[in-house]
Amino acid sequence: MNSPAPNIRPVIRLLDEAAINRIAAGEVVERPASAVKELVENALDAGARRIAVDYAAGGKVLIRVTDDGCGMGPDDLPLAVARHATSKIDGSDLLNIRSFGFRGEALASLGSVGRLSITSRPRGEEGHRLVVEGGRMGAVAPCSAAPGTVIELRDLFYATPARLKFLRSDRSEASAIAEVVRRLAMAEPLVGFVVTEVVEGEPARVILRLDPENGDFFDALQRRLTRLLGADFTANALRVDVEREGLHLSGYAALPTYSRGTSVQQFLFVNGRPVQDRLLYGALRVAYFDVLSRDRHPAAVLNLSCDPERVDVNVHPAKSEVRFREPEAARSLIITGLRTVLAQGGTRASSTLGTATLQALRPEAPRVYQMDLGARPSFTTLARAYEAQAPAYPPPGFAEMPSARVEPVAEPSSAPLGAARAQVHENYIIAQTATGIVIVDQHAAHERLVYEKLKAQRDAAGIPTQALLIPEILELSSSDHARLMEAAEALASLGLVIEPFGGQAVAVREVPAILGQASAKALLADVIDELGEQGDAPSLKARMDAILSRMACHGSIRSGRQMRAEEMNALLREMEATPLSGQCNHGRPTYVELKLSDIERLFGRT
Amino acid sequence: MKLSIERAVLLKALAQAQSVVERRNTIPILANVLIEAEGATVAFRATDLDIEVLDRAPAMVERAGATTVSAVMLHEIVRKLPDGALVVLAADAAAGRLAITAGRSSFSLATLPREDFPVMASSEYATNFAAPAPVLRRLFDKAKFAISTEETRYYLNGVYMHVARGPEGTVLRCVATDGHRLAQIDAALPEGASAMPGVIVPRKTVGELRKLLEDDEAQIAVSVSETKVRFATPQVTLTSKVIDGTFPDYSRVIPQGNTRKLEVDAAEFAKAVDRVATVSSERSRAVKLTLEDDRLILSVNAPDSGAAEEELAVAYDADRLEIGFNAKYLLEIAGQVDRENAVFLFNGSGDPTLMREGNDMSATYVVMPMRV
Ligand SMILES: Nc1ncnc2c1ncn2[C@@H]1O[C@H](COP(=O)(O)OP(=O)(O)OP(=O)(O)O)[C@@H](O)[C@H]1O
Ligand SMILES: [Mg+2]
Repeated sequence: MNSPAPNIRPVIRLLDEAAINRIAAGEVVERPASAVKELVENALDAGARRIAVDYAAGGKVLIRVTDDGCGMGPDDLPLAVARHATSKIDGSDLLNIRSFGFRGEALASLGSVGRLSITSRPRGEEGHRLVVEGGRMGAVAPCSAAPGTVIELRDLFYATPARLKFLRSDRSEASAIAEVVRRLAMAEPLVGFVVTEVVEGEPARVILRLDPENGDFFDALQRRLTRLLGADFTANALRVDVEREGLHLSGYAALPTYSRGTSVQQFLFVNGRPVQDRLLYGALRVAYFDVLSRDRHPAAVLNLSCDPERVDVNVHPAKSEVRFREPEAARSLIITGLRTVLAQGGTRASSTLGTATLQALRPEAPRVYQMDLGARPSFTTLARAYEAQAPAYPPPGFAEMPSARVEPVAEPSSAPLGAARAQVHENYIIAQTATGIVIVDQHAAHERLVYEKLKAQRDAAGIPTQALLIPEILELSSSDHARLMEAAEALASLGLVIEPFGGQAVAVREVPAILGQASAKALLADVIDELGEQGDAPSLKARMDAILSRMACHGSIRSGRQMRAEEMNALLREMEATPLSGQCNHGRPTYVELKLSDIERLFGRT
Repeated sequence: MKLSIERAVLLKALAQAQSVVERRNTIPILANVLIEAEGATVAFRATDLDIEVLDRAPAMVERAGATTVSAVMLHEIVRKLPDGALVVLAADAAAGRLAITAGRSSFSLATLPREDFPVMASSEYATNFAAPAPVLRRLFDKAKFAISTEETRYYLNGVYMHVARGPEGTVLRCVATDGHRLAQIDAALPEGASAMPGVIVPRKTVGELRKLLEDDEAQIAVSVSETKVRFATPQVTLTSKVIDGTFPDYSRVIPQGNTRKLEVDAAEFAKAVDRVATVSSERSRAVKLTLEDDRLILSVNAPDSGAAEEELAVAYDADRLEIGFNAKYLLEIAGQVDRENAVFLFNGSGDPTLMREGNDMSATYVVMPMRV
């Protein structure tokens, strides 16, 4: 935010009638957290560098926000609590809002719903206090105070017991307060925040302590996010800094492999203001559409900044929604900007995976050989003989080692994913890199490659198709049949050519050639599923991508297929050359990397 | 059981047995080979429950009997013994061991009782006939490239062997298709085969069968029932379940009205296809054929890696035609042509294409085009 410097004190004036009418009247304070939000925003607008929030009983009994901002003089205090009095805009230009506040409404509202006391001292002046109770203003009285402002709100909603009844438990109101501060703290990494719970008039517990960060904005933000979201997030987050046509998207977006089960780690801001905008969250989802399965959610902290004239912040009482002059531009910047960033971070799989792997790899006591009695046929004398036959270790040179094949092939291992050294369990490729080893899930990796290739083919000359000698005929339910025939033309552009075949049957005539011998029947069944699920999918293109992603699965090397060394190395090289190959179409990683140092750690060598 | 046997004879008999054994089976007894000694013969039997191979070899049997040991391990041991060695196999049932001695080497392997070994139930074969090895070899060799590996259409995972009406009367016919291409190979109907039920011989069985067909002079005894098929030489008997499914009515997909005829030297054609396909790194490399006035232009255009073109002089006098194919399919189909020219019969660029070896009507191949 462009806040005034703490020592230049702005002038508070009354807005004229016309301006007042242009301001959306609304419920400003609906729960303690919204009061905290208003007060902290005011402190930020006042240029504070440190802000302390104290609350008691979930904010119902006490909310106190202390800042070291510019403060207010004795003449300002009555104006501050008057309705529609603000220092932040002059009323002529509601479209050019650079501060959190602009309505001149927050303090007035707070004064009418609780016992409000404002103590303020501008730098180099005396301190004064003003108390407002039930909307009635007291007299401004001099008092001693530290530079800055302390605003205390006691007994919120005491005058409106009906409101009070709707509040939730102290605990959930308290967590809402912390959440509000956390969000604002993400937008303002240079400002320090302390949230303290007060019990019986005494500070009892520090809920959140964030020291002011300094230095380069991105570094500051990264440190702030490490405090707020954990080191895992920042270790897996890519820096976003893209600008187009006066819109600037900045922040951090996590790799798809760091996806979450819910959207709890999505924080979007417009010009530093936390927003809950559907448009923007939708765009975030679309940006990750390709690389995450439907039940996973991206994690990101992003600020979209632009000239304040291009966005209307005055559409929601809590200011949590905004309206863009050109919503498409904002949306497309998020989508394409993030995709570019993700593609560049493409072959970087989540590093927490490596850590998780290490944790899973704790050394284990050698296991005693145990027979799986359930899976064994009931040959009577088998047990004894079998035990005798099962040596502790396979005798060297004889019995084939359990499905692992070791490849002596030497390829320069300077490549990021190294040289394939072995295939284990017919699904995992072990490759040696310059600094460690990489374990690749061959099916997941190949699926991703096929998907990217299908998309590239579609976007270039169209997807080459293989005509079927024996068309696959499928009987469908009438709804599936209708849905499929409706999509027939779109599917043909994806290389899947189907025709009605009398009644509710369809014939598959052509399939994308890259899928090879894939079962047309299984392919079609999946496509029908996909069509069924996408009622509200974002756009035709996204829907088609989702279908391609389903198709890709059918053309992929199955788990359980043996691969020759050349094949494995070719796969690795192709992964390196393919953007986004670090995760499969469902957002799972396609490989994990273990550094030599990690391996050494496993063996206690460090 | 105790017997001695010449190493080379033993190795040959075991080779076939151990190849049937599934490496990754979970049932221990299936990793074993059943050794049965009686009279002057030792028999080795191995199975994966779908295929059973029985190999007989002459041996000096000192004490008749039977036991089972790991097929792979026994084969490995015998393979590493010096040529010309005389191998003695002696089972100690009480200790559950089989001793293998040859010269100064001796080994002892754990055994499992013979009673545990699943011997395939013998069945009644409706049809029995004999066919020369080269005839069966040709039937299966030329068809097997088209076998499908895709498991959901399991009934395509083998070669359909049946009696059919060919252009010149009733024939013994093998057909395989993977849904993209098809091979149909005919041979003169052997005596006694006319009532044979059509069976789908699984891919793995086709591979094992091939080992019985090396000897040009051999006569193969073929027995067929609804559920099983057996191929036998005097030494080896290969019994296999057949795929329980209905092979599709392939005759309907073999085009009859294709009139645009291309005649080309098969080897030249294959080499040219192989060369132009080099520039594409795709798995399904598409080659475009452009035909006009005794000229064939093969071209590949791979947007991300490159382009290639080659021209061949051919015999073609129909209308200009452009048609695309998967390079691998063209190579495999051209690879079936032994001596003659490859004769292609096209219709349109989206229609099935037929290929024959010169004027030989006993082998027909169909391949579907690719749209690029
Ligand atoms: N912590 C503070 N330090 C200095 N000045 C303050 C502080 N809090 C409020 N003020 C002054 O009081 C005025 C009124 O604040 P209030 O929050 O009611 O309105 P606003 O922030 O201008 O608009 P909005 O209603 O949108 O929040 C502000 O314009 C500002 O000048
Ligand atoms: Mg305000």
